[in-house]
Amino acid sequence: MKTLVLGTGNPILSDDGVGIKVAHEVANQFNSPQVTVAETSAAGLRLLDSIVGYDKVIIIDAIQTKKGRAGQIYRMKPEDFSFAKHLSSPHQINLVTALELGKMLNLVMPQEITIFAVEAKDVSNFRERCTPEVERAIPEAVKMVLQELNAKHPPEG
Amino acid sequence: MKKIMIDPITRLEGHGKIAIFLNDDGGVANTYFQVPELRGFEKFSEGRPAEDMPQITQRICGVCPEAHHMASTKALDALFHVEPTSTARKLRELLYSAFFVTDHTTHFYILAAPDFVMGPDAPPAERNILGVIAKVGLELGGAVIKTRHDNHWVIQTIGGRPIHPCFGLPGGVSKAINEEERAKIEEIAKSSVEFGKLSLKVFDDVVLKNKEYLDMVLSDTFTHRTYYMGLVDENNKVNFYDGKVRVVDPEGKEFCKYAPRDYLEHLAEHVEPWTYLKFPYLKKVGWKGFVDGKDSGVYRCTPQSRLNAADGMATPLAQEEYEKMYSTLGGKPAHYTLATHWARLIELLYAAERMVELVRDPEITSPDIRTIPTATPDEGIGIVEAPRGTLTHHYITDERGIIKKCNLIVGTTNNHAAISMSIKKAAVDLIKPGKEITEGLLNRIEMAWRPYDLCLACATHSLPGQAPMEVTIYDAQGNELKKLSQGI
Repeated sequence: MKTLVLGTGNPILSDDGVGIKVAHEVANQFNSPQVTVAETSAAGLRLLDSIVGYDKVIIIDAIQTKKGRAGQIYRMKPEDFSFAKHLSSPHQINLVTALELGKMLNLVMPQEITIFAVEAKDVSNFRERCTPEVERAIPEAVKMVLQELNAKHPPEG
Repeated sequence: MKKIMIDPITRLEGHGKIAIFLNDDGGVANTYFQVPELRGFEKFSEGRPAEDMPQITQRICGVCPEAHHMASTKALDALFHVEPTSTARKLRELLYSAFFVTDHTTHFYILAAPDFVMGPDAPPAERNILGVIAKVGLELGGAVIKTRHDNHWVIQTIGGRPIHPCFGLPGGVSKAINEEERAKIEEIAKSSVEFGKLSLKVFDDVVLKNKEYLDMVLSDTFTHRTYYMGLVDENNKVNFYDGKVRVVDPEGKEFCKYAPRDYLEHLAEHVEPWTYLKFPYLKKVGWKGFVDGKDSGVYRCTPQSRLNAADGMATPLAQEEYEKMYSTLGGKPAHYTLATHWARLIELLYAAERMVELVRDPEITSPDIRTIPTATPDEGIGIVEAPRGTLTHHYITDERGIIKKCNLIVGTTNNHAAISMSIKKAAVDLIKPGKEITEGLLNRIEMAWRPYDLCLACATHSLPGQAPMEVTIYDAQGNELKKLSQGI
């Protein structure tokens, strides 16, 4: 099974970069020829380009919800965003539409996509570090991703 | 298992809004378009080595990192007083042309095509790329994906990384390409030319052969007579990577042509109390408010504007299409905002043709890719055409090359005043006393700003991945009458 761990976000925009920081830490702690850890700041079609050909994809991103607490971590599936799938965007399409497009065009699409989203506090100010609340959530998010990986890729020996 | 209800908001909260104020009669008195602005970049960059800027600035935007990388690299050439080698210039332009192919493809098929293929009043559930492919055919869908995928390979091969290139250095680039890579890029370039031709045929079939759409393109609702800006080469042909900035007036006459280092002599920025984002205008004409015409310093830089500001295209097929477009639109300059979609496809074809020229150049595989800088850095300005407008990077450093001051004018900012005007004009024409305000209004207003291919901060990646828009309509007393929104 080929798995992709994809941290998404902007690493110099405070909490926006939390997904990339989590992915870096996962890469430090997990090593398997079947698992690729990557980062991207892209959405929509570029995201589609990144995930084609993998069996399983784990995406880590920042999110802001109406009643969320900074640092809270959500484990989600793409379907959780289906309410938004037909909406347009200034330059891209959302994840669900990108996935549907891939299926429509018979691309080799992942059978399983899991999204870990970390509640962000500040996504407007340029800064390399996350806010303290989000910084503190990183180890827990890394643990959740590793658990997910270990379930599919048990350590050898 | 506990079910978590996700109720995402976005970073547009409090910012990304269109407010429409009505007068006593129920007609439109004014509109305000507010976009989000990320804060503190200038401060963030101070104290950093200038050589890091091509890596840092491309993180500003998730839509056009390659454009920032290139403008920044050119600013470093100027800062370190170094001329890149001929091969380095060609490799940069080759990568940049591949980027234009991918970016213009995305915009046309994802954004523009749904309105025309499905119809501007089609329900949002159908008016998207999935609907377009279902109607136009899977083969075209496959070609869209393949063209983007192949050209991303080109960007990665030349630039060293997918999405965020790491090859731009003052005086050149960090790596050469070999013959095997060159041959593969040539195949991709040729296939991109075919894709460009196919896309123009789609436009011809879907838009130009439909009288209703052509009338809409030519309608006053989507027309503004402004100044136009774009980079041109030594023959005044469109160039994305290098050249001088040329501005033509609303009659198409050259107003000015300047080297990047002189941009501050020609541009100034107007500030409004209701938005963080500034409004650049032509200094020598002056800011006269949100109005078009020769006396107003408002200018546009979009694909249509670049074609207006130039005397033609530097490649043969694109030139043919250029002539056809102006003959159909009734001459130059064309003031029709919706025709920007057509111009974008002509630029796509040009970018692909330019790739073929560059990749066949005998110098392209030369190892002579860098001039080592030896002068003391002080100040540098670099300009490229980003897909959505002229992009300027300006750095001032100390003698060690540490950034003391940084100023950027990004593509969308140039068009800020024009976007606001386009939205107002659409709103004025669409909202009439006694006429019901419907969801369809949202899309018609979107159609007024969509050709500008806005590069909003929110267009990067954040979940759930689509950019929200909210239109609020207020009566003459300031009471909220109706709110239309998507993705909020």
